[in-house]
Amino acid sequence: MTTLIEARAAKPRRKPVGHAMLIGGAVAALAVGAALPWIVPTKIAMSLLAQAMFDALLATSVGFLILQNGRTSFGQAAFFGLGGYTIGVLVARQWVAPELALLAALILPTAVAFLLGLVISRITGVAHAMLTLAVGQAFYEVVFRWRELAKGDDGMSFDLPARVFGFSARKLQDPAFMLVLSWTILVLVLVGLVLFTRSRVGQVAAAIRDNEERARFLGYSTVMPPALVYAIAAFIAATAGILQACYNGYIAPQMFHWSTSGFALIMAIIGGAKFIFGPAIGAIVLFYIKDFAGQFAEYWPAIVGGILVVVTLTMPRGVVGLALLLWRRGTGR
Amino acid sequence: MTGHVIEGIGLSRRYGGFAALDNVDIAVKQGEIRGLIGPNGAGKSTLIDVLSGRAATRGGKVLLNGEDISALTPQERRRRGMARSFQRTNIFPDLTVEQQLLVAAWAVPGADIAEVMDELRLTELADIPAGEISYGDQRRLDLALALVGRPAVLLLDEPAAGLTMEESLGLARILRDLANRWKVTVLLVEHDMQVVFSICDRITVLHLGRSLSEGTCAEIRVDPTVIAAYLGTEA
Amino acid sequence: MLIQILNGIVYGGLLYLLAVGLVLIFGLREVVNFAHGALFMIGAYIGFSIAAMGYWWSGLLVSVFAMALVGCALDAAVFSTLRKHDHIVTVLVTFGILLILETVVTKVWGKAYLTYPVPPLLAGTVSIGGSPFPIYRLFVIAVSVAVAVSLSLWLRYTRTGLYIRAASTDARVTSMQGINVDRLSLIVVGLGTALAGLSGVVAGPLLSLSPTMGNYILIDSFIVVVIGGLGSFAGAFIAALLIGQIHNFGAVYLPWAATVLPFMLMVGILIWRPTGFAGSRT
Repeated sequence: MTTLIEARAAKPRRKPVGHAMLIGGAVAALAVGAALPWIVPTKIAMSLLAQAMFDALLATSVGFLILQNGRTSFGQAAFFGLGGYTIGVLVARQWVAPELALLAALILPTAVAFLLGLVISRITGVAHAMLTLAVGQAFYEVVFRWRELAKGDDGMSFDLPARVFGFSARKLQDPAFMLVLSWTILVLVLVGLVLFTRSRVGQVAAAIRDNEERARFLGYSTVMPPALVYAIAAFIAATAGILQACYNGYIAPQMFHWSTSGFALIMAIIGGAKFIFGPAIGAIVLFYIKDFAGQFAEYWPAIVGGILVVVTLTMPRGVVGLALLLWRRGTGR
Repeated sequence: MTGHVIEGIGLSRRYGGFAALDNVDIAVKQGEIRGLIGPNGAGKSTLIDVLSGRAATRGGKVLLNGEDISALTPQERRRRGMARSFQRTNIFPDLTVEQQLLVAAWAVPGADIAEVMDELRLTELADIPAGEISYGDQRRLDLALALVGRPAVLLLDEPAAGLTMEESLGLARILRDLANRWKVTVLLVEHDMQVVFSICDRITVLHLGRSLSEGTCAEIRVDPTVIAAYLGTEA
Repeated sequence: MLIQILNGIVYGGLLYLLAVGLVLIFGLREVVNFAHGALFMIGAYIGFSIAAMGYWWSGLLVSVFAMALVGCALDAAVFSTLRKHDHIVTVLVTFGILLILETVVTKVWGKAYLTYPVPPLLAGTVSIGGSPFPIYRLFVIAVSVAVAVSLSLWLRYTRTGLYIRAASTDARVTSMQGINVDRLSLIVVGLGTALAGLSGVVAGPLLSLSPTMGNYILIDSFIVVVIGGLGSFAGAFIAALLIGQIHNFGAVYLPWAATVLPFMLMVGILIWRPTGFAGSRT
């Protein structure tokens, strides 16, 4: 037994966190989430924090594309908006049952992203950034001009149905409930992403990100796995969009706007897109900075821009990367 | 069946007005290590590219175990037992050594990475991202990626480029040994004549996109056309 | 019909002024400047403030010079430090700068839409093919053509132009040839942002001024740059004219297509040549 332990200790670092620890962490995080309504002092704080959770989900979506596909997107809001608009429009028109509307709002953006991913996964770097910016903005333009769909640039409010899946849907607009719900979804999404990156298809996607040509000559189709990653990222963005639309009972073209994509990207970069948890932490860090900088609200975009420049140039692995570095130094490893 | 594992018939490829490959025939027997030599621009890398499906041939065809695979994609060729390496180190820098060998293994049913890691002395490096290991280790990893699953045919494009003489000969020894034991047929492009003469069974000499000569090491060494065109007086 | 074509050329000309600045900056510094639209906007606002006092032409000059200075400062302070970084880092940094500049504009000039006057000299219309056409629009066409011609002559026939073309091909090799790339890029980036300022001022009376005016035109000029092949001056010129025509004809005859067609064109070009320009250099 001792030899086994020694052999393990002699091996160089970087063994990933075990499944037991992952499950333990997730359970602890879920417990914290359930207790949030008693921890967070006011309804307004809960409401703001719930909004931060939507942001965290969208940032996670953007970061996952960077982590797993190595692609920087300036248009992830397209799927955020598509999720929100699908549920908003379907519920407002009452064309289908709310359960079906929810399903459609998850499937449509995911399918669109998958098809788009089949086509654009070959495009890398800056060209990808410009392209996703343009594609996202094309969605925005359509929604902005198409007044019959959802009142164009005015946006549209809609009433939630009385019941969804047998539960009272009104709860979705209660800050405490929404906070717990979105926190829980975020935790589950993060755990799901960790499991994905450890799965075969996740590892193959990472290999394709690293070196597309070699992966091809090792016998892999280099189109499918990246497209799957686009689809998963869009699914997460759509989830965030659905939550936000239901919580506000309101959809507007701003959901598609490139500044929505851009801010999500900034959160991912600040948190550290090399880590699955980084973007979510980035969203929460920015949330608290915003809270702290309340009196300078009118300078907020400039503050975020400044932080982005500093983080990009001085800490390429983001806040999480910096924290890990300090921790490793502190523990002398 | 022709008894050849890998065979190229009438392979041609042009880049602009330049004939990189001009009607080249090549056939390598089971278990053979075939050296591919020639001056720069002779068409060695192009031949590897055409055989592996990275570049298309203009006319001619590629046979794997007697079966025409000219129309297959690189990934289909790999799944039928053809593996290759690249002139420039071509690994997955952010994946650990073990991770990328696993990825390579998943594409081949029944492949075992332990034997490859063991033979190529990579076991110690298993958990380190490939971008952080030394150049010599990266070249062995590059070879290991191609050797996972014991391919029937291995096309190697200067696997020892950039290595010291000692490292090159070490790599050559491993290659010779594994090819014998695992019954891998090898087509090897190499500039280092010492490596070529020490491990190859037969040698094909390319010159200006054409096959100039073919024979055993001893025959090639004394072939007057080869000496005139390539080896010069040193050999 | 003729009027529509001319209107398309007007918008194409504006896009060309912006796109060519992006091409210049990318060529020398390998920076994809997301802040270019914001510089366009600031140019317009500076010109506006001076024009509002009754000095339209001084507004034009001051704005162009001010933006040239801003460009030099950006190059010295930011772009020159980005040389060793990945392209996507330059995108993030210039995106951050864009947010800062937008905030500056909002603070100084407010969020309201402002109307930029037409200079008295160029007020009024002429009759073209029986329809009235604003003289000012002809002036915009003239400015873009003048810039296009003088830029191509400069790049082709002067020593500096030769250096710029060489550095755009390979900055490292060029600097090894003993050419001071840092000084060269100061000129080039300054020129690029000055053109953004010029474009902002001449566009001012055509578009209304607002803190978001830079975003729309930035995306359109990205499309131009991508369709023209990032790094190609002639490509940018042709693509700008093309997008200008699509923009205008579409707006009149096919509003739906006009919105989406340029994006589709960009996607198509990138799929056709995914590693042709920006991709391969990343």
